[in-house]
Amino acid sequence: MTAEQTIGENLPLTGRAASRAQGIRRFKWTVLTPFFALLIFILMPALIAQVFFSLNHFSIFDAGDDDTWRSYLNASEWIGLELFIEVFNDERFWNACIRSLLFASGSTLGCFIIGFGLALLMYRPFRGQALYYIFFILPMLTVPIVIAYTGEMILYQNGPLNDVLSRITGLRVDAQFLYKKEIALTTIAFLEVWNWTPFSFIIMMAGLAALPQEPQEAAKILGASKWRIFWEIQLPLLRPVILLCLILRFLESMAEFPKTWGLLQGGPGSATETIPVYIFITTWQYFDISYGAALSYVVLVLMVAIVAGGIYFLQREKKNLDEMYFSRPQQSE
Amino acid sequence: MAMTMSQKRSTFSVFRYFVLTIWLLIVAFPMFWMVGTSFKPDKEWFAWPPVYITENATMRNYLIVWANINEYTKADGAHIDEKTGELSQYTQSLQRPWVALRNSTIIAGIATTFAVLFGGVLAYGVSRHNIISEGKMFQLLMLRMVPPIVLIAPISLWYRQIGLLDTITGLVLLYFLTSLPYAVWMCKSFIDEVPREMEQAAEILGASRWRTIWEIVLPLVRSGLVATFLFILILTWSEYLLALLLSKAEVLTLPVELSKYQGSTEGRVYGRQAALSVGITIPLIFVGLIIRKHLARGFSFGMVRR
Repeated sequence: MTAEQTIGENLPLTGRAASRAQGIRRFKWTVLTPFFALLIFILMPALIAQVFFSLNHFSIFDAGDDDTWRSYLNASEWIGLELFIEVFNDERFWNACIRSLLFASGSTLGCFIIGFGLALLMYRPFRGQALYYIFFILPMLTVPIVIAYTGEMILYQNGPLNDVLSRITGLRVDAQFLYKKEIALTTIAFLEVWNWTPFSFIIMMAGLAALPQEPQEAAKILGASKWRIFWEIQLPLLRPVILLCLILRFLESMAEFPKTWGLLQGGPGSATETIPVYIFITTWQYFDISYGAALSYVVLVLMVAIVAGGIYFLQREKKNLDEMYFSRPQQSE
Repeated sequence: MAMTMSQKRSTFSVFRYFVLTIWLLIVAFPMFWMVGTSFKPDKEWFAWPPVYITENATMRNYLIVWANINEYTKADGAHIDEKTGELSQYTQSLQRPWVALRNSTIIAGIATTFAVLFGGVLAYGVSRHNIISEGKMFQLLMLRMVPPIVLIAPISLWYRQIGLLDTITGLVLLYFLTSLPYAVWMCKSFIDEVPREMEQAAEILGASRWRTIWEIVLPLVRSGLVATFLFILILTWSEYLLALLLSKAEVLTLPVELSKYQGSTEGRVYGRQAALSVGITIPLIFVGLIIRKHLARGFSFGMVRR
C-alpha cells in the first residue's frame, strides 16, 4: 500500500526499496520490543500465577510473612479443577453475573437513548448550543468515586432528592434509594447513566455532524417526511457509530467498580454485588486467593469472549466504513 | 387547522429548550450540591429539610482538608494530644491530600507522557507504514476492555515479589499499559489527517526522514497530541481500582485518599468529602473543557469521519 505511493517504487533500484523495507522492520521492532517486554514482565507472570493459584489450595495466611515463591509453594496444595467446579455450582457467582449483565445492559441502553435523544435535539446550530454542550459533557469529566460519594449525599433518605421530589409532586416522597434491596442496583445504574450519558452524547453528536448531507437533501426534494429521512437515511448511516457507542459502554459497564463499591460495597445484602465486587470481596476481604483466582479465570474467559465479540463487530463496521469511503469518489453520480 | 411552517418551528424550539433545560438541571444538580456542601457548616450536612443555599457559608471544610488548619473541636472527631498540643497521628492522616495530589500528578503525568510518546511513535508507524495490521490494532483494545479486577490479585503478589508494590513505578507501568490503546488510536486519527503528499514533497526536496517528521508532521499534529495527552490524563487521574489495590500507604492517589474519608471512624463527613471532591474535580473539568472538541476522537477509533 504505502510502497506504491512512495517515490522509491518509481525508481528501478530494488536495493533501495529493500533497505527501506528493512528500515521499517527495524523501526517496528524497536518500537514494539519495550511493549512486549512489559507484557512479558508484568502480565505474563500474573497470568501464570493466576493459573497456579486456581489449581491449588493456597492461603496467604499459611504463607506467613515470608514473601518468597518458595513459601507460596509450600503453602499451597494441589487440588486440580475442584475450585472451578465450585465456581460453576456457586449460586452467588451466577447471581453476580446476572446482576452485572442487567446493570451493564440497562445502563448502556439508558446512556444511549438519552445521549442520542439529546444529540438529535442539538446537532443543528441554535442559540445557546455551545453552553448546553459544555454543561452536558461535565459528568464524564468527574471522577467516578466522587460521583459515588456525592450520590450518597443526594440520595440518602433525608437528602435533597427526596425533598425535591416531594416538592414537585406535592406528596411526601420518602424513598430509600440506597438501602432497599429492590432498587439499589437500579439507583447505581442511574448514577452510571448520569456519569456516562455524555459519552454517547459526544459520539452521537460527532456522528450526526459527520453525516453526508447530499442523500438527506435529495430525499427532502423528493418529498420524504422527516421521520422517513431519519429511519431510512440517517439511522442506517449512523449504524457504525451506534454500535461503537453500545459496545464500548457495555464493556466498560461490565467492569464498573468505583461507584458500586464506593456507595454500597455490594450491599444491602448482596443486592449490588456485581462480578467485580464479588471478586473483590472474595480476594480482598475473605482473602480467599485461590477461589478468587478461579473466579477471576472464569470471568476472564467470559470477558475475553465478550470483548472479542465486541471488537469483532467494531472491526467489521470499520472495514465497511473504510470501503465505503474509499469507493465514494467513483460512486458519485 | 394546520400549523404553518414557522409555528411548527417555534413549537419545536420551545420543546427543545424545555427538554434540554430539564437535562441541564439533572446534570447540574449534583455538581451544585457538591460545591454547596463543601461550604456548609457541620450542622447543615444532614439537616432536614435540606439546606440548598447555606446562609452560613464557611471555608472551614477547605481549610481543614487542604490547609492543615487545626482549629478542631472534639465534635469534629479530631484528637489533639493534650500534652504536646499537637495533632494526633490519626488526625494527621486526614491531612494527606497534598501528598495524594502530588502522587496523582506524578503518576498520571508520567504514565500519560509515556503513553503519548510511545503511542505517537507507534501510531505514526501504523499510519504510514502499516507496521501493525488493523486486526492487531483492535486486539490492542483488549488491554483496556478486559476488566482489571480479574488480574489484579496475582499482579499484586507479583509486584510484592519484585518490589513494585506500593511504588510509583508499579502504578505507572500499569497505567501506561491500560491507556496505550486509546493513545495509539487517538494519535493515529490525528496523524491520518496529515496529507502524505506533504511528506513526499519534503522528501523529494531532499529532507531527511527525521527532518520530515520533525518539521512537517509534528507541527501539524501538535495540538492533536496535546488533546491526546489531556484525554489520557483524565482517564488515569480518575482511576480507582488499581490505585486502591496496589498502593498501601506510600503512593495514595487522590481518588483513594477520598475513599479513606468514607467509613473512617469519625463517621460521614460530607462537608470534608465535598471539599476534597471539588479539589479533585476542578482540574479535570478544566482540562476537559480545553479539549472538548477532541473528546469524541478518543473513543471513536476512526469511526467518525469528517
